[in-house]
Amino acid sequence: MKDQPVLQLENISKHFGMTIALADMSITLHPGEVHAIVGENGAGKSTMIKVMTGIYQPSAGTILIGGKPQVISGPQAARDAGIAAIYQEPMVFPDLDVTENIFISDTSAGLLMRPAAQRRRAIELIERIGINLDPDRIASGLTLAEQQVVEIARALSQDVRILIMDEPTASLSAHEAAQLRKIAKTLAAQGVAVVYISHRLEEIFEIADRVTVIRDGAHISTKPIASVTADSMISEMVGREVGNYFAKAPGTVTDEVILQVQNLSLAGVFKDITFDLHKGEILCMAGLVGARRTDVALALFGVTPTATGEVTYKGKPARFRSPREAIDAGVAYVSEDRRKLGLAMPMSIRSNISLVTLDAFLSRFGLLNREKETAVAHSYRERLNIRTQDVDSEVGMLSGGNQQKVMLAKWLNMEPDLLIFDEPTRGIDIGAKAEVHDLIREFAAAGGAVLVISSDLPEVLALGDRILVMREGQQMGILDTSEATQERVMILATGQTALREAV
Amino acid sequence: MKHFTKLTMAATLLLGTAGFATAEGHSVTLETGQEVNMVLLPKFLGILVFDQANEGAQEAHAELENPGELLFIGPTPENSTAGQIEIMTTAATQGQGAVMISNNAGDQIVPSALAAQEAGTRVVTWDSPIPSGEGEDVFIAQVDFGSIGVIMADMAFSILGGEGQMAVLSATPDASNQNAWIAAMQVALEDEKYANIELVDVVYGDDQAEVSYNRALALVDQYPDLGVIMSPTTVGIQAAAKAMQDEGLCEQVKVSGLGLPSEMLSYTLNGCAPEFALWDFRDLGYLTYFTAYGLASGQLTGDIGETFSAGRMGDYTIEEDPGRPGTKRILMGPFTVYTAENVEAAAN
Amino acid sequence: MLARISPQTLRILALLAVVLAVLLFFSTQVPNYLNGRLFNRISSSVAIMALIACGQTLVILTRNIDLSIGSIVGFVAFATGSLITNNPELGPVLLVSYSIILGACFGVVNGLLVAFLRIPSIIVTLATMALFRSSLVEYSDAKSITTGNLPEWLISFPNYKVLTFGTLQLRAGFLVAVLVVIAVHIALTHLRPARKLYAVGSNPEAAEMAGINTKLVVLSAFACAGALAGLAGFMFLARFGTITVVAGLGIELKSVAASVVGGVNIFGGSGTVIGALLGAILVDLIDMSLVRWALVSEFWREAVLGTLILLSVAADAILMRRLIALRVAREKTTKENAP
Repeated sequence: MKDQPVLQLENISKHFGMTIALADMSITLHPGEVHAIVGENGAGKSTMIKVMTGIYQPSAGTILIGGKPQVISGPQAARDAGIAAIYQEPMVFPDLDVTENIFISDTSAGLLMRPAAQRRRAIELIERIGINLDPDRIASGLTLAEQQVVEIARALSQDVRILIMDEPTASLSAHEAAQLRKIAKTLAAQGVAVVYISHRLEEIFEIADRVTVIRDGAHISTKPIASVTADSMISEMVGREVGNYFAKAPGTVTDEVILQVQNLSLAGVFKDITFDLHKGEILCMAGLVGARRTDVALALFGVTPTATGEVTYKGKPARFRSPREAIDAGVAYVSEDRRKLGLAMPMSIRSNISLVTLDAFLSRFGLLNREKETAVAHSYRERLNIRTQDVDSEVGMLSGGNQQKVMLAKWLNMEPDLLIFDEPTRGIDIGAKAEVHDLIREFAAAGGAVLVISSDLPEVLALGDRILVMREGQQMGILDTSEATQERVMILATGQTALREAV
Repeated sequence: MKHFTKLTMAATLLLGTAGFATAEGHSVTLETGQEVNMVLLPKFLGILVFDQANEGAQEAHAELENPGELLFIGPTPENSTAGQIEIMTTAATQGQGAVMISNNAGDQIVPSALAAQEAGTRVVTWDSPIPSGEGEDVFIAQVDFGSIGVIMADMAFSILGGEGQMAVLSATPDASNQNAWIAAMQVALEDEKYANIELVDVVYGDDQAEVSYNRALALVDQYPDLGVIMSPTTVGIQAAAKAMQDEGLCEQVKVSGLGLPSEMLSYTLNGCAPEFALWDFRDLGYLTYFTAYGLASGQLTGDIGETFSAGRMGDYTIEEDPGRPGTKRILMGPFTVYTAENVEAAAN
Repeated sequence: MLARISPQTLRILALLAVVLAVLLFFSTQVPNYLNGRLFNRISSSVAIMALIACGQTLVILTRNIDLSIGSIVGFVAFATGSLITNNPELGPVLLVSYSIILGACFGVVNGLLVAFLRIPSIIVTLATMALFRSSLVEYSDAKSITTGNLPEWLISFPNYKVLTFGTLQLRAGFLVAVLVVIAVHIALTHLRPARKLYAVGSNPEAAEMAGINTKLVVLSAFACAGALAGLAGFMFLARFGTITVVAGLGIELKSVAASVVGGVNIFGGSGTVIGALLGAILVDLIDMSLVRWALVSEFWREAVLGTLILLSVAADAILMRRLIALRVAREKTTKENAP
């Protein structure tokens, strides 16, 4: 810290249309430090990285590199300035080998490659990181951790001065994560400024020199690690009042248990998930990115049949081996990724709604009964208030909130007993959020059981009758809505207190 | 220019009258100056023979003083079939008086041709007819298919000295004119005279130089005693001749068939292709235009037995097509056989 | 042992085995088959396709496709032919340069459209295929290039015998093609910019993040493919002498077939031009042998050819899956054996 800062963001703002992703953000990086950045999901960490790496141009503010104002016009300019980033999902070239991957954007040497020399340098770089890795292996066969090593080596090969690590350990095993933290330390000792973004607070206490908290796109604090505690960090991260736009509605929980899960585990992904779900209940699963909540849902839905443990559904042992079996048993899963797993964007609203329950729309000769399809689509348009001219318009043309309602309609149409809803309100506006919440409550009140996965804390608190908190594949506890606060959920989600409660 | 045209006109009229007088008294002489819009539709654009046909048609267009338009439009090579159908359809909706088509679409053209006829457009085929004859008013046959067969058999006979093996390198397997000619040659070969000539194989070069070239060499490899490759397509014959020349096989295997003098000149002079035959595409375009003009202006009925005067080419009569019973044709004839003696004059 | 050999080398060995198998099979079916002549035929015929498949491979490596390549070959062959017809005194170097530069210009048109307008290459090149062909129709004015108007050195060049062993001849045309393929192969394995071709096809997003100018890479790939097609156009002119507007029609699909049979991944990122050369040889060999196989009639030949191509691609896919499985198994055992 005695040195000249390598990178300074001064009053950087970034807008996307009406949305403000970064507001007046300032941060200073020194060579040789590990600088942790923490914040809730959506606090603006990713946007800040993208500004630093030239992917986004700031709407306002100045970037100083080595004390001089500079415009980072694109990824190449960032590289030239010595800034590199590695992500949870590494960016490697699956068809190339380790050496080729490391030197892919090396522009220093001449036109001709010298494979033998490159291979030697690759070994040197990998040694500098302190890892064992065969430089001849094809990248498609590497583990995530090994791919990250390749990326770090690539950055080192270009004399990186600022290395940004964005949730690098989120998908790694404990051993791999420890190794990666060691790498970060090693690099910092070699004079690199390491920006370390993580949800794992204990990691931050282990390696960070300074920590910056950001919230809602704004800078909250930057302090030496010695002067912060987990509690102070969490309260700064949460920091906001629970918005009153999420009114807490009275629960409709009954005594009848519909789903009972005991010690559900999937090797290397999650372990010992245990809970039960009642008719009319909304159970929310909270946690940070990488908590593996979606994986639990997918296991229940039959996508990963190799999971172990006991699942009792409607009083009978249930082991769904495919989504089809789960659907036939009355389980619906509304995916978090509307684009990839949820909706057929170029198809009409009508045909999206009938997709899961196509058999019900067949006429006697095995042809689709389009009148019936249209009628059903119309009824859902009314019921869920889907705003559209007609049900034949393309789903891709609708707003996020309306798309979400079409998804919901698609699954409600199969009249499920258990609805698993993954991130029901991600990327949709406040008004639509409230509507979706009402629909979920309505479904529960009518006797359905709901499992909601949400990263939106206020939503979890407003919607859930109980809240199951997960962290890195572990069940950290189940809170009753009466005892839950944002702080308590965050403490569990960040692993500060392993508060195990009897179910 | 105008004077010149008028002079030619006068000459033509004179000639026509002369034709009228000498024929059996039924020959129709077409009245000039009728306004008919017509389309000349080749298999595709960019091939010399079709342009020559266009020149002939333009000549007739000027000669008949048609105030209407003669359009020369065609598809691009990679889009021949679909393009022909599209142009035929468009011509019908535009109310063209006649479409003159060298059909490359087989019977796929039939629906659009029928629709054109329905709309009052006359459909005259030339060079390559509609196989079923449906949707076609009349076909202008360049030569008698039967006589093509005999001509090809005779050329093979003379090259082989009366005895030996012959193979055919054709265009595409579904080219209706080539298939008819090959069939005619097979009929001709049944004659006593050709008893010692053996037709060993028929292969197809898709009317592309590279495919034809390879097919010709494959024939030589397959039949060591092969004496002549007969190619009834201008692309095939020169590809085959080039292949024989490149591989130094001209002494052993000769090439013959239908070719353009300008393209075959060097091969005929060096002995790789000593004899080949063709007709004049300018004349074919000229005669086609006269026929289509007569039909579209209502001066010809298009019935069998009808005789008319086609300007400088003399009288022609509509007859039944012996190759396609129930359809009508006008036979242009005759062939020119090219050898080292006359090829240079024709090439220039 | 198996894991020591790289997958690409393995593919090439597998292809060689398939070529041998095809040769053996047809030698039992076709009389007068296995001899020097067969080599001469295939080598002269494949010389042109090898260049085109090589260019096509460069484009496919970047996760694109060039369907206009046949039209480029045709146009260049014609334009070069008319240039030499009108200026018979032009020397070989000038003429070849003209062909290559003209071809590269067409390639640049494709590349600009694909890279900068972000239109999928299949759409762009489908359009330019028709566009280039139509321009040829327009430009040619229905004239053909005929052998008689070409200088002797040009026509005799492809068949110039460099070496002769009995009936087996090594001809200039084939030699040029093989040398070019080897040169491109060395460039792809040893030149820094060439590596980016693989990177862009392998993971375009990562390439962008790695600071690679993906647009420039795609543009260069199309330009190089165009240049190779231009050279092929020159060879086409020299070999066939007669060029009409249909020259090179259908070559684009054959070149894609040759590349894919040669182990080039149609989704980009992996493949070699040596593989593409072998693919071209295999496709040509099967095609020529089928012509001489009495059992298959003219009408079925295309279908049989297609089936055989499909089979070899399927065999390739199965082979690769096996190989990956073997690798994973090997890695597991080495890991377990390690302390």
